[in-house]
Amino acid sequence: MGLRSRIARFASAGPVPVFAVAGSGMRTAVQDLRLQPDVCLVDTPRAAAILLIVGPTADADADALARLHDALPHPRATVAWQGDDGDLLPTLRATFRDLLQGLRASEPALLPDTDAVAWRDVGPYGQGGTGMTGGTPYGRPMAELGIDRDGLRLDVLPVTLGPFFPRLPAGLVLEMKLAGDVVTDVEVVASRYSVPPLAESASPFIRALSGPVPIAELELARARDHLRWLCDALIAQGMPALGRRALRLAHAVKSGEGHRVRAFAGRVRRSGVYRWSLPRGGGLPADRLTGQGLGPVARAAGLTEDVRLDDEAYLALGFAPYATDADGPSGWWQVRLEEAARSLDLAGRAAGRSTTIVGRVESPRGRLAPGDSPTQRALALIPDLVIGLEWGDAIATLVGLDLDLDEAAAVAPPQTLQATA
Amino acid sequence: MVALAPLAVAFAVFVVALAAALILWWGVNPGRGRRQAIPERTPFTGGREPKVHAWNRYHARYYPMALVFLAFDMEMVFMYPWAVVFRSEGIIAMVEMAMFIVILLLGVLYAWRERAFEWA
Repeated sequence: MGLRSRIARFASAGPVPVFAVAGSGMRTAVQDLRLQPDVCLVDTPRAAAILLIVGPTADADADALARLHDALPHPRATVAWQGDDGDLLPTLRATFRDLLQGLRASEPALLPDTDAVAWRDVGPYGQGGTGMTGGTPYGRPMAELGIDRDGLRLDVLPVTLGPFFPRLPAGLVLEMKLAGDVVTDVEVVASRYSVPPLAESASPFIRALSGPVPIAELELARARDHLRWLCDALIAQGMPALGRRALRLAHAVKSGEGHRVRAFAGRVRRSGVYRWSLPRGGGLPADRLTGQGLGPVARAAGLTEDVRLDDEAYLALGFAPYATDADGPSGWWQVRLEEAARSLDLAGRAAGRSTTIVGRVESPRGRLAPGDSPTQRALALIPDLVIGLEWGDAIATLVGLDLDLDEAAAVAPPQTLQATA
Repeated sequence: MVALAPLAVAFAVFVVALAAALILWWGVNPGRGRRQAIPERTPFTGGREPKVHAWNRYHARYYPMALVFLAFDMEMVFMYPWAVVFRSEGIIAMVEMAMFIVILLLGVLYAWRERAFEWA
């Protein structure tokens, strides 16, 4: 056996670097891959060997998927997974091994190997443009000019994030303008509505819109949803090990175990994330959020808006919403963690009680009703929240909003749904 | 010539390490010999094509950077005379310099918390 094949065998025994695309309703299935030691979910296709497409994706994203596929370095492969068939890990492992050992050919490019804009032989020396300040180097126009935060007239760089930017939900496309790393403008250009989840697999929050659902089930689902969000948020803050612990906790917690979440919240606080990583302030004033029904985001601004307050079954259990005036992303974190703990305690006390109102429900993100989701309302607030922030703070803020396009799709009127492939 | 022997050894180690790295890279890199296609070289921001060139001018805020640089560069000025007397003063000099560095380090932590190191 030659040196090359020995090293290839050694390399193929390691974790499989995978760039995963979550199709509609597959966010949790992709997230659970983080608990597999055999899989390493990477944040850019340049670091991946396998493009994993989980569940159905929208037709509108086909171009972006092709670009994603071609951005993987050779040797590369694509694996499609429906999220429920159990043989994903052996498939990934075998594909990775065959790729590295040369038993499987690398997938050819889907897009033509040509420049998006012609630039070769352009300019007086064929160097590709007319210089750096205001010309078209390499055929692409330069960023436009704008006033930055120090009053200087410098470049403003437009950047399109999504639809598969790893910190945002799949399908969300943001058009940002950056002066240095300060966001000067942001626009939501696409928030794909994918196929709504099937009725039998719908979350208890969707079912609660049409009939009574046991409070214990609803509150347990709420706590788990908050912990799953915390996993993503911790990973976005560069703490993947703590994020995986949050995800394991989301799987493990049971009704009445609020103390476990409180202990974990203490662990998160001691990690220093509130003092050192998260942006300070950065929320919206309470009067701007009043009536928006944005759940933890509103309650972190001191509002006590909560659909559960209208439900007699909740009031009989002694439910009172947790509100604070911490505000901003760190306030949202604290409210969600405390709510997760209280939800588990509430689920432990619920004892067979069910919700008594239909047509609206307090989802983990806020007031949810047919045709009206908290994610849609939060998308409208993104410019107010993000403009003026530095890049890292802007991403922390977007992650903190806990946008869920699947939930928005599940309650959207049918005509807004796009065909999916 | 004997005086240069350690340098020759260091150079030999450098050459051997470089050769080993190149051989491993050439021998094992599965994408070797393949030119990167245009889509492979496109910057990744989520799947859309960039509209403008990534070259852009922004204000790097040199003033706070210069202040921080001055503060921590000046510590080196104190370390030169310290290094001269280090042997004769012994452990006392070591402890004193450790105290000096720790006090400066508190300044770094303070500047970090105040976000003085953030770029642009």
